Formats: sequence, C-alpha cells, structure tokens
Amino acid sequence: MTSTTLASPQSTRRPGWRAWVAFSPLLVWLAAFVVVPTGMLFVYSFFKNAGYSEVERVFTLGNYALAFSPDYLGNFARSTAYAGLTTILCALIGYPVAYHIGRAPAGRRNRLLMLIMIPFMTSFLIRTFAWTTILDHQGVLNTLLRALQIIPVLLNDKFEVLHTPAAVMIVLVYTYLPFMILPVYGSVEKLDESLLEAASDLGAGPARTFVRVVLPLTMPGVGAGVLMVFVPAVAMFAVTHVMSGGTVYLIGDVIEDQFGSGGNLPFGSALGMVLLVGFIATFFLFTRREKTT
Amino acid sequence: MKHLCLLFAFAICLAGCHRDKSSAATAPTLHLFAWSEYVPREVIDGFTKETGIPVDYEVYDTNEKMLAKLAPGSAQYDIIQPSEYMVEHLIKRKMVAPLDLAQIPNLSNLLPEFRNLAYDPGNQYSVPYMSGTVGIIINTDKVKEPVRGYADVFQEKYRKRIIALEDNREMVSWAFATRGIAINDVTPENLAKVKPMLREWVKMVKLFNSDDPKALLIRDEVDLGIVYSGEAAKLMDQDKRFKYVLPAEGAHRFIDNLCIPAGSKNKGAAMQFINYILRPEVSKIISDRFPYTNPNAAARKLLSDGQRANPASYPPDAGNLELFRDIGKANADVSVLMTELRS
Repeated sequence: MTSTTLASPQSTRRPGWRAWVAFSPLLVWLAAFVVVPTGMLFVYSFFKNAGYSEVERVFTLGNYALAFSPDYLGNFARSTAYAGLTTILCALIGYPVAYHIGRAPAGRRNRLLMLIMIPFMTSFLIRTFAWTTILDHQGVLNTLLRALQIIPVLLNDKFEVLHTPAAVMIVLVYTYLPFMILPVYGSVEKLDESLLEAASDLGAGPARTFVRVVLPLTMPGVGAGVLMVFVPAVAMFAVTHVMSGGTVYLIGDVIEDQFGSGGNLPFGSALGMVLLVGFIATFFLFTRREKTT
Repeated sequence: MKHLCLLFAFAICLAGCHRDKSSAATAPTLHLFAWSEYVPREVIDGFTKETGIPVDYEVYDTNEKMLAKLAPGSAQYDIIQPSEYMVEHLIKRKMVAPLDLAQIPNLSNLLPEFRNLAYDPGNQYSVPYMSGTVGIIINTDKVKEPVRGYADVFQEKYRKRIIALEDNREMVSWAFATRGIAINDVTPENLAKVKPMLREWVKMVKLFNSDDPKALLIRDEVDLGIVYSGEAAKLMDQDKRFKYVLPAEGAHRFIDNLCIPAGSKNKGAAMQFINYILRPEVSKIISDRFPYTNPNAAARKLLSDGQRANPASYPPDAGNLELFRDIGKANADVSVLMTELRS
C-alpha cells in the first residue's frame, strides 16, 4: 500500500505550515477517535471485571491470561482461518475481475468500476440481510435448485446454506470483494503496455508474460488488497452473527459481547489490544516484505 | 434478527426526529429503550397523538445489554424496561429514579400479585409492564416423543434442530434446574458443576435468537427450543403444530417493568407514559400484539376468551416457577463461562 503511493519525488519535501493546517482536521479526528479510545482500552484491559459492565480499578494481568488461554487461542485461530480463507477467495475471484476492468477501454472501465461501487450506496446491514432471503432454506437459491431438481435428486433433499459456516463465508467474501478489486485494479491500470509488448517480442507466451511480468508488477495492489480484506475480516461480527444464527462465534463477536450482554469491559479491552497488536504485526510484516521484493 | 430490529429502531428514530421538528415547540422527545418485539407501534403513536410528545423507540435483547448502554456517559433514556432481577440491581446502584405514584393513578389496575413485589417493595421505582415465562416450544409434526423438560430438549437426536434464547443467564438457569440447583444460587462451584453439560448443550443449538424465534420455527428452520412465552403464544395462535411446555425441572417467570433512569431529563413525560400504558384499553393492545401474561386486571377483562385460554400466555397449572434475583458480581462468572463455552 505504501510503496505505490509514497514513492513520488514530491513526498521527500518537508511539509510547510499550510500542509499542517490542511492536515489538522485529520490529526484531530485521529486523536479523538483512534488514539484516545485506544488509550482507554489499554488502561481498561488491566482493570478487574466486577460484572454488569462495572470494573474494579485494581491492576491485574488476568484478562490477558484469559485471552491467551486455550479456548481463546483456538478462537483467534478460527477467526484467522475465516479471514484467511476470505482473503484467498477474494484474491482468486477479485484478481481476474480487476485485471479485466483495468485492461478495458477507458469509457467502459469507468462504467465497470461504477458497478463495483454501486452496492456501497446501500447499507451494509441491509445487504447482509438480503443474503438471508437468498440463502434461506425456502429462499431464492434453494427454490432454484429445487426447480432444477438438484436438491431432491443430487442432494437427497438435504441442503441448507443459511445458518451454516458456508453462509458466513459467502457473505464475508461478498462484503470484502471490492476491497480486493479496487487496489488490484489500481496497479493493473498502471501497467506499462510497452513492457507487455517487450515480453511478447522476446518470445514469452501469454501465460509466461502473466506470471513473470504482470503478476510481479501488480503484487503491490494484491498486497494492499490482502491487508484491506484480512484485517477487517478477522474482527468482523455482524455478518457472522446474522449468517450463522449465533453459532459461528468468532473473536469479533466475543469482543462485541463483552461490551454488551457480557458486561466484561476489561476482558473485551484485552482482546481488543491483542487484536490490535496482531494487526500492527501483520502490517509491518507485509510492508517489510513488499520492500524486500 | 437483532440487527434488523436495530435497523427498524433506527428508522423509527429518524421518523421520530422528523416529527420532532414539526412539533418542536410543543415537547421534547421521550426516549424509550425497550425490548425488541414488545411495544406495539400503535401504542406509541397513540401516546404521541394524545400528548404531542414524540417518542423514539430503541431496542435491546438482553437486560445486560440495556445496562451496558445505560452506563454513565452513554446515551440518555427516559424509560427503560428491565426485568425483575435487573430492577433490583438498578435500585441497588441508584440508577433508577423514584416514581411519583400520585402521577400514576392507573397503578391500581394491576393485579395485587403484581404489585409490591420483593424486588421493589411499594413499587417505588418500577411498574410491571408484562410478565411471562421461559419455556419449551415444540413443533409436534417434527418432534414425536414427549418433551417435558430441558433434558428432553438437549438430546443428541435433536442436535442442530434447537433454538435457544441468546441470554447467558437464562441458559445457565436451565442447566441449574436440570441438575437440581436453585436457579438463583449462582456460585463458582455450581457453575463448575454444570459446565460440562452446558458445553454439550451449546454445541447442539442451531440458532441463538431472542428477538424473533417464531419466524424461524414457523419456517421449519428449527423444530424445538426454548423461547419466551409471548413468542410461543403468538406462534400457537398462527400455527396449530406448535405446543408450549413449562419445563418440569422448573422455569424462570419474569416480570418486565417500566422504570425511569436516574439521568432522565424528561421524568414528567415518562410518568405520563407509564400511566398511559396502564390504561386497560392500551394494555389490551399490547396483549393483542404480544400475548405475554398481562398483569393488568382491567385489561384482562377486555381480552377475548381465546386470548385468556392460550396456555402459553396464561398457564393453567403455574407449576414450578421462580423469579430471578440480582446475583451481583456473580454475573461476571456467568458471562465468562458462557463466552468460553461459545467460543
């Protein structure tokens, strides 16, 4: 993400006071809604839970001990697996789409991009609920499969998607796909046509050109897409709850519950801090690897 | 469904804000924070029409969630709807304002058994809204064997056919009742005793849902489960396949109340609203839409024979029912246990 945007020569100039003024709303916003809340989470994560959303202001490491106990390590692993699979599927589905859009003529390109963006104009929750009507066992999908005789004949009359882990995966991929397509599109669009011609002139076939030229050159876009999909997907909670009926209970759901029904603010804070450290580590891992390649 | 309800609440809120502008000169908005699927739209509209006080209605699906949002510094509400044990807890923490009973003369409409209860002697802080039980709903087309109690529900053969309330304390109480432990005796030792059984139960549940279990039962998503009696009563009215059973091991009888948070800036309007809810004809509308046990004697007289005969709303044999008490800090242990089991 960084290597593509910050590499221009202007960025080495020191910003003047005007730049700081222009920048200040963002700084205030970051301080008020990121730095201060994170600081509060950090402090709360060392308090003792007194039940019903109350805390005892006594120092304890108990919340972290619980966060690293086998049950929650298992949960972190499962959440990472869901997010990892989401990222892989988004990359596999999103890359060809982004490539196609990026190589399309300029006019059509914008129209195709619009198609990707339009769903963003409706509420995310409404789109998630729309999926329940599609995947419901009397929903659009099953009605279609039944009409095609696929459910009664091939599936022995047993086919349910809604309220299974599969439903969670489908909607996770659906939700995050644009976050993969857009950055990959960005790097496909910048591809230098002459490099492709050169590859072809030097005798590389389309497959070889793709693997040796196109893929390495679009990797920054894929890297950015992976971060933009993986990081939020690990902590997702609304989709998992709606699509699984509360049985796929990932780390995002656990944290949400600690600030709601669970009423355990310190534990929720500790889990949040663990996730945050995980994200920062992932981010550095990625940006380091991008620099070395 | 929880999120759908929130969405609706948000829409209603927007509508409320809109109205707010048109009648801005008349009265500040009354902020109602109540259970989802519990306060009929026409009841709220009726109040606004009569008094000119706009009402916005935000929803929750567990007492604990309501409490978390009520914490100092959070949003301001004028009316909340806590269950009996939560009223007890809120009084202890001085989070609810004392009521001026002179402004709530309709309190006399309540049956004596719903007045002056142990969790709030003299109704100083709370007025019962509706009552009900937590029990077993069965689709008799799908479940042929008799189901009498929790142990009959949580069986291997019903794995992934079960719906359960998404409520930590409720689920723990079912396990307690099954093991013969008093449902209010929440201690670390007792929680440890039921932990292995609860771990199995959690895995058998297909859906955790407190807001709208009837929709999922009616579409055959699940075949049996544990729901609120009002949901069951409505379901049985719509579909004769369903039957409601009070668990033989004992069950939770809840009483949901109207209270005014200590931080409310609109207490006068809030008491006006409480008194309005206690009118027989208003209370009857609530029973029509959400057929829980109506504590209002005058309203019960207005109900049809059919409504009064619904065994989920008005169980003929009250059986082994118990109210929840405030368990204070032990709630933390319940939350930690259930989070671990579901994780």
